[in-house]
Amino acid sequence: MTAYDYFSIAHGALATISISLAAIVLGVPLGLGLALVRWSRLPVFNQFATGYVSVIRTCPSVTLALLIFFALPEVGLSLDPVPAGILTLTLSTAAFNTEIWRNALMNFPRDQYEAALSFGMSRSVRFRRIVLPQIIRASLPALVNEMTLLIKSSPAVAVIGIVEITRAAIRVGARTYEPLPPFVFALVLYSLIVFLFVMTQRYVERRYAAGAAA
Amino acid sequence: MLERISFRFNRRALLRALPIVAVSAVLVAGILANGLSAAHADGVADIKKRGKMMVATEDDFKPFEFMEDGVSKGYDNDLLAEVKKSLPFGVEQQVIPWAGILPGVTTGKYDIAVTAVLVTAARKPTFTFSSPVAQSTTFFATKAGSSIKKAADLEGKTVGAQAGSAMLADLKAFDASLKAKGGKGLAKIVEYPSNPEAYQDCALGRVDAVVNTEINLRSLVKEKAGVFALGEGIAKPVYIAWAMKKGNTDLAKLIDAAIIAAKKSGKMAELQMKWFGTSFKEMPDDVN
Repeated sequence: MTAYDYFSIAHGALATISISLAAIVLGVPLGLGLALVRWSRLPVFNQFATGYVSVIRTCPSVTLALLIFFALPEVGLSLDPVPAGILTLTLSTAAFNTEIWRNALMNFPRDQYEAALSFGMSRSVRFRRIVLPQIIRASLPALVNEMTLLIKSSPAVAVIGIVEITRAAIRVGARTYEPLPPFVFALVLYSLIVFLFVMTQRYVERRYAAGAAA
Repeated sequence: MLERISFRFNRRALLRALPIVAVSAVLVAGILANGLSAAHADGVADIKKRGKMMVATEDDFKPFEFMEDGVSKGYDNDLLAEVKKSLPFGVEQQVIPWAGILPGVTTGKYDIAVTAVLVTAARKPTFTFSSPVAQSTTFFATKAGSSIKKAADLEGKTVGAQAGSAMLADLKAFDASLKAKGGKGLAKIVEYPSNPEAYQDCALGRVDAVVNTEINLRSLVKEKAGVFALGEGIAKPVYIAWAMKKGNTDLAKLIDAAIIAAKKSGKMAELQMKWFGTSFKEMPDDVN
């Protein structure tokens, strides 16, 4: 492996991190929105959200990426690889995040909600002040878990031409006929990225614990 | 339940919103239908309107195409650089894995796949192929110093091949032809998930020979000269060409003219010697 090979795989890590982060930033609130739709049982929208989650959960990321990249031009929507990749990962992670948020909403203590009602809080204040802070805390471990899974499923978007860590490693191996060294380096990079996410989660949890104690 | 009721949508409000929903649905359908016709425009006219031809190339098929220092290199890239000179429009190249290449051409995302596409009977109804750029013959290779020199020497021997490959199909047909001639055929055909495993077992003496394309085996023998020796062909040649969407004959004419010119000038043979260590002199101009 040349110095450039290491650089190309590290450059792939940048792609992995940026498309994963974009999918997280879009997918976590989208999941929350869909979970609220399901929780409030909005007619029509509720069925749509249920259908969305069921369909996306059964669809492998690679298939979804191919569908978005190659089938959407048939109906006149031609996306470049990067937006198509972000869309794929966002749609996929949002479905799983919906279930995580929904779980927290279903377990939300009803007496607190009723107490807020009796204080005459408006719907939005109730949600922002009472519900949201607590469901975030309850969902955090599962959300971070889903984020690490997302990072590891991101090689799926390589099929539409995004060069992330795994694809960059495959390219090096295909040229040198020595696949082991680039894959070991790729593994090190994945470990580092996941480690950073888990560290951030621990930090946030400690902050919450300190806040609760104060 | 209380918390649910307070979040519940007013059904009457929803009914009032219905006309808006209906109108937007019709609008969206209209936009989609319009896009549908735009995506199926005519080949060359469409490229000229865009100002560039969209090309898809693989990234892990040495020596045809591979990535070195961030640049796509290999035989097809060198030949594309030659063809580009005579095209009346620019070229935009995207490097994507094999799995996305042919779907990209059939759906119109790319105008042409500049990669090693084997011209097979199954692909002909779906693609218009360019004039062939290389040919692939199924060859066998043995351990260096083996007594097997000719295809006929394989009688009674054990041979390895990649499972599901076109080369395995060729090997089976070859076995059948040995038997048809009254021989006892091959002793055994061993299938491997990928070629490196087959090479490994051949080097270890577990199989007497392996089959793959001539180009791949030449590359192997060149890289590991003391370990393997090249045998000869066991099947008729299959051509390798660039693939366009079926019926895109305008574009095919432009590309073919450039490829045939490179063939006549000797440039193509020169590139084949550079990348494959051999050149293919007797390829037809049209394989569709």
